[in-house]
Amino acid sequence: MYGAKDIESRTGRARQPAALSDAALKRLFLWPTLGLLIAFNLFPLLYSLYLSFTDYSAISSRAPQWIGLQNYRDILNDGQLWIYFRNTGKYVVLSVAFETLVGFGMALLLRRKFFGSGIITTLILIPMMCSPVVVGLFWKMMYNPGYGIFNYLLGFPAGRGPDWLSSPKLALWAVVIVDVWMWAPYVMLLCLAGLSAIPDYLYEAAEIDRAGPLYTFWRITLPQVAPLLLIAVLFRTIEAFKTFDLVMGLTGGGPGDTTELVAVDLYRLAFLGQFNTGKSSALAYIVLVIITGVSNIYVRYLNKLKEG
Amino acid sequence: MATIQLQQVEKRFGEFHAVQPMDLTIGDGEFVALLGPSGCGKTTTLRMIAGLETVSSGRILLDNRNVTNLRGRERDIAFVFQLFALYPHMTVRQNVAFPLQTQREPKDAIERRVDEVIKMLEIGHLQYLRPGSLSGGDRQRVALARALVRRPAAFLMDEPLGALDAEFREVMRVEIKRLHLATRATTVYVTHDQVEAMAMGDRIVVMSNAVVQQIGTPQQVYYDPSNLFVARFIGSPGMNLLPGVYGDGVVTLGGGNHYPVPAPWRAAIERAAPADGRVVVGFRPESALLRADGPLAAEVYADDLHGAYTMLHLALNAADTIVHARAARELSYPIGTALHFDIAPDQVRFFDATTERAIAL
Repeated sequence: MYGAKDIESRTGRARQPAALSDAALKRLFLWPTLGLLIAFNLFPLLYSLYLSFTDYSAISSRAPQWIGLQNYRDILNDGQLWIYFRNTGKYVVLSVAFETLVGFGMALLLRRKFFGSGIITTLILIPMMCSPVVVGLFWKMMYNPGYGIFNYLLGFPAGRGPDWLSSPKLALWAVVIVDVWMWAPYVMLLCLAGLSAIPDYLYEAAEIDRAGPLYTFWRITLPQVAPLLLIAVLFRTIEAFKTFDLVMGLTGGGPGDTTELVAVDLYRLAFLGQFNTGKSSALAYIVLVIITGVSNIYVRYLNKLKEG
Repeated sequence: MATIQLQQVEKRFGEFHAVQPMDLTIGDGEFVALLGPSGCGKTTTLRMIAGLETVSSGRILLDNRNVTNLRGRERDIAFVFQLFALYPHMTVRQNVAFPLQTQREPKDAIERRVDEVIKMLEIGHLQYLRPGSLSGGDRQRVALARALVRRPAAFLMDEPLGALDAEFREVMRVEIKRLHLATRATTVYVTHDQVEAMAMGDRIVVMSNAVVQQIGTPQQVYYDPSNLFVARFIGSPGMNLLPGVYGDGVVTLGGGNHYPVPAPWRAAIERAAPADGRVVVGFRPESALLRADGPLAAEVYADDLHGAYTMLHLALNAADTIVHARAARELSYPIGTALHFDIAPDQVRFFDATTERAIAL
């Protein structure tokens, strides 16, 4: 006769794993990734937060000295930096606005299938896949007032058009145009996904309800695409705020400081001249806070849109 | 309200006929049910009337106005979709108000009318919710409210109860019927459910394979089907259909049964039946009369109590034909019992076996 206890211990033994248990296997797969994440994301994040309160310079042999909020105070009292923030704000608003308009417009044109629509969509997406540095370099050639094709396409006689990249009035617009050229396709892609998800029967119902094309657009199409459109705008806002490589390829921040965006200045502060690591960390954190704040507004609006 | 006329209306997709040329006149305030199995062209017909589908040829008249080439929004009809097609991003109230807002009607007039309809359909407690959080039946009510709100010339409904569960279908069926009686709006109602069509339609249009099989009142369609398809399709179970050969006032059925044809029918059959005499005898389960002296001999194959009545499945002697017969609920027979039955003489029908058409009396 076996007692209940005997049976339990026997089955308990039978359950014991021959090799690795599922849990152990799970840990085995998780730890390397987690390790990488900690080493390359979490640690620098926290370490730079610490450095932002010090006077550390990456090229000096001196250990970081704690100086409290001094870096932040310096930055927020620096009139020059406020100009860069203003440049950045203007740049973000202009490029995101035009990307949304152009992207959504192209999506509306391409939503119905027609002969060649597939290849056209693919071609439109190409700029998005290029490296920003490459894009910057060849747009620099296209903007060239001597031999560039841009002025030629605008109808200026050779050599008589504006010098986009060295005119203080036009330089920021020049960067905006390139950014729109590059990223409007991204907005288009998301909008196309949103548009194709709208069921046909909603349009049939609107037709029966005697809605004209424009009214249908405002009351059906736009609200239905809005969530995806807002996500596109959110992503583009964050990215535009961090724009660096495009400016470096095109203008290097000039002429003067007309295209000097915060991210560009951050680079100068951190990696040129004094290697002012402490102060640049502080600036990076300020940018992070601003982007998080702006994103939050979007996300809140997005949630409101979803709930109604 | 409005009359709807279809004149030789047809729909082709390339070589394929979705709807063969059909004629149909729907009177003012009439409730017409388009009935048929799926893929028979009934929904396509409805969508052509609505202007959601182009017409390949023929004309559609709404109140004698030719609307064949007008868009849906120019036709003044309301459409209730099978899956309701409510606007998911609008509240119930906004959904109902939408058809009036498209017409730029004054705000207070819209509010008043919306209140009226919301009250009529008893959806007041739902008016600030979104369709996503409503049950199927409530969505159906909202869809009806949206259709009703603008007092359209005609209502078109595409299987409006198809997405509801069985219990709720009956409730909504009654509500739609009452709504129709209250508004007297010309209504075309597509369904594949013959019970629905019989219960609601003033007239039924039976369609199959893109062809109109019969147009008639529920009584006509049930008692006088114009061909074998309608006879089989209407009723559950459908008409009993026994193929046989007519000669000298008697139809010889398979398995050696003989059915003496009632006197009034003889001349008609002799006039209309084909030379080889091949006809089909048709009768409803309730027209089978169990009688010891009945001319038809059968054997009980199965016997189901349906509550109010007993449905007998009778195997005609030596033939593999099953006949359904309705008997009083008290009656019950062991399987294999030999029975005799007759067919109520005024309820028997005959069909030409070759053309499958009904023989007229």
